[in-house]
Amino acid sequence: MLSLRNVSLVYPNGVHALDHVNLEIAKGEFVFLVGDSGTGKSSMLRLLYREARPTSGEITVDGIRVDRLRRNRIAALRRHLGVVFQDFKLLVDKTVWENVAFAMQVTGAHTRDVMRQVPRVLDLVGLAHKSRMYPGELSGGEQQRSAIARALVNNPKILLCDEPTGNLDPVNSNEIMELLSRINLKGTTVVVATHNQSVVDRMRRRVVRLEEGRVSTDEERGYYYLGLGQGQVLSG
Amino acid sequence: MDWGKVKFFLGEVLRNFTRNAGMQATAIGTVAITIVLLGTFLFIRAALAGLGGQLLDQITISAAVANNASNAQVATLRRSIAADPRVASVEYVPKEKGWADLRRRLRGQIDTTLIPGNPLPDVFRIRARHPEAVPSVATSVARLSGIASVRYGHAEVARLLQLGDVLRRIGVGVIVLFFCVAGIIIANTIRLTVFARRREISIMQLVGATNFYIRAPFICEGLLAGLVGALLAVVILGVARATIWPKLVSALVFIPLNSVSFQLGQMVGELFVIGGAVGLIASWIAVGRHLRA
Repeated sequence: MLSLRNVSLVYPNGVHALDHVNLEIAKGEFVFLVGDSGTGKSSMLRLLYREARPTSGEITVDGIRVDRLRRNRIAALRRHLGVVFQDFKLLVDKTVWENVAFAMQVTGAHTRDVMRQVPRVLDLVGLAHKSRMYPGELSGGEQQRSAIARALVNNPKILLCDEPTGNLDPVNSNEIMELLSRINLKGTTVVVATHNQSVVDRMRRRVVRLEEGRVSTDEERGYYYLGLGQGQVLSG
Repeated sequence: MDWGKVKFFLGEVLRNFTRNAGMQATAIGTVAITIVLLGTFLFIRAALAGLGGQLLDQITISAAVANNASNAQVATLRRSIAADPRVASVEYVPKEKGWADLRRRLRGQIDTTLIPGNPLPDVFRIRARHPEAVPSVATSVARLSGIASVRYGHAEVARLLQLGDVLRRIGVGVIVLFFCVAGIIIANTIRLTVFARRREISIMQLVGATNFYIRAPFICEGLLAGLVGALLAVVILGVARATIWPKLVSALVFIPLNSVSFQLGQMVGELFVIGGAVGLIASWIAVGRHLRA
């Protein structure tokens, strides 16, 4: 579903964000990208949704060669993807319903489909009863759930999340992760870049660790730190 | 037809248009001023073309017959003038007819009853086959005995046409300059709107909106600014047409402005197209720059 082959990314200021990265993510997988700040987690996501182009290497997303993609095809790629950010990126002057519908409306969806699909995803994220509220009237967790609803409304096959719990307390963080798990169970491939050790350790999913722009470890049912659960790190 | 889509789209355009009211007002004002200038220029050009054309048509040689000339002499003169191959037509206008014509032309502008008697002589009105032949025909006619004087307004016409040409060039320069200014102001307005909405645009790009969908509301905004500016200009020109124009006609009695057609109605369509085009092109460029960046 997602594939990076020998991918390097050097920013114009000379910073090497990624250095010959190889990674395969299969359809329906749930993968954590972990690592310290500046190790290339966000850069990798940016490459996947073609916000950035690799300096070298091949990137394939759902059969599309993203590294070779022409500018006018980027919009089509992004309709296959949902992207969620730490700062939610909601429009403050639109209601929850309008924010979610916006993602369909600007891609030219028929109003009939908007009316059918928006309530469905709001229900999925548990915000149906708050659809008329503005982002400023919601808690952080609710705002993130609105953002997830927006990311899902176009039925993407892949959901990319960049620090989705970065602004949330532990309770809300766990709720968001449970929501992402449920979405994953429905068949959506989920990639989460995170610092949040507790959610990674609790979820026990595939964990890809980045260090200095390289994949240092890649574990099925891993922990945030290689081979060690949170309790073990604290007691050890 | 998906009316929900149309409603969403128009709602977005209107919301953005009203959000930046101050800048939009500046843009609209500039377009309006530009189009008022354009309208005025088009009118002046039409007036000069009309006058020039009329005067060119009127290059007739007016040969005044001596006061003491007999009917037989007049008939002989007529025959000899008409015999000249360079002459297209010759018409004898007795002073009574000439005076009646003049009074009819000046009716409502000058009180001709204040002029005692008939100040006009009998004249031959001669038209040459070609305007260039006018001076030589005039010279030949002047030599004929029984002709008191010969007049033709060729020099004036030439000067008028030259003046019209100069005015036209200056006018085109000024209009082009103003359109550039209007375009730049609209482009800057749109750029500010784009800047104010960069978050919204980045979200649109993230969810896969095509550049057309991102661009269209801004283009419509520019188009709307141009059209509203044009509307304002048409209103100003309409008011001027109704109030200033009649005064101008009666103030400049010696210029036959009545015959110049100044049909605002015919121009309205063109002015709207021009206003809309300025808004459209300017906003297209402004958004295009942002999307490429």
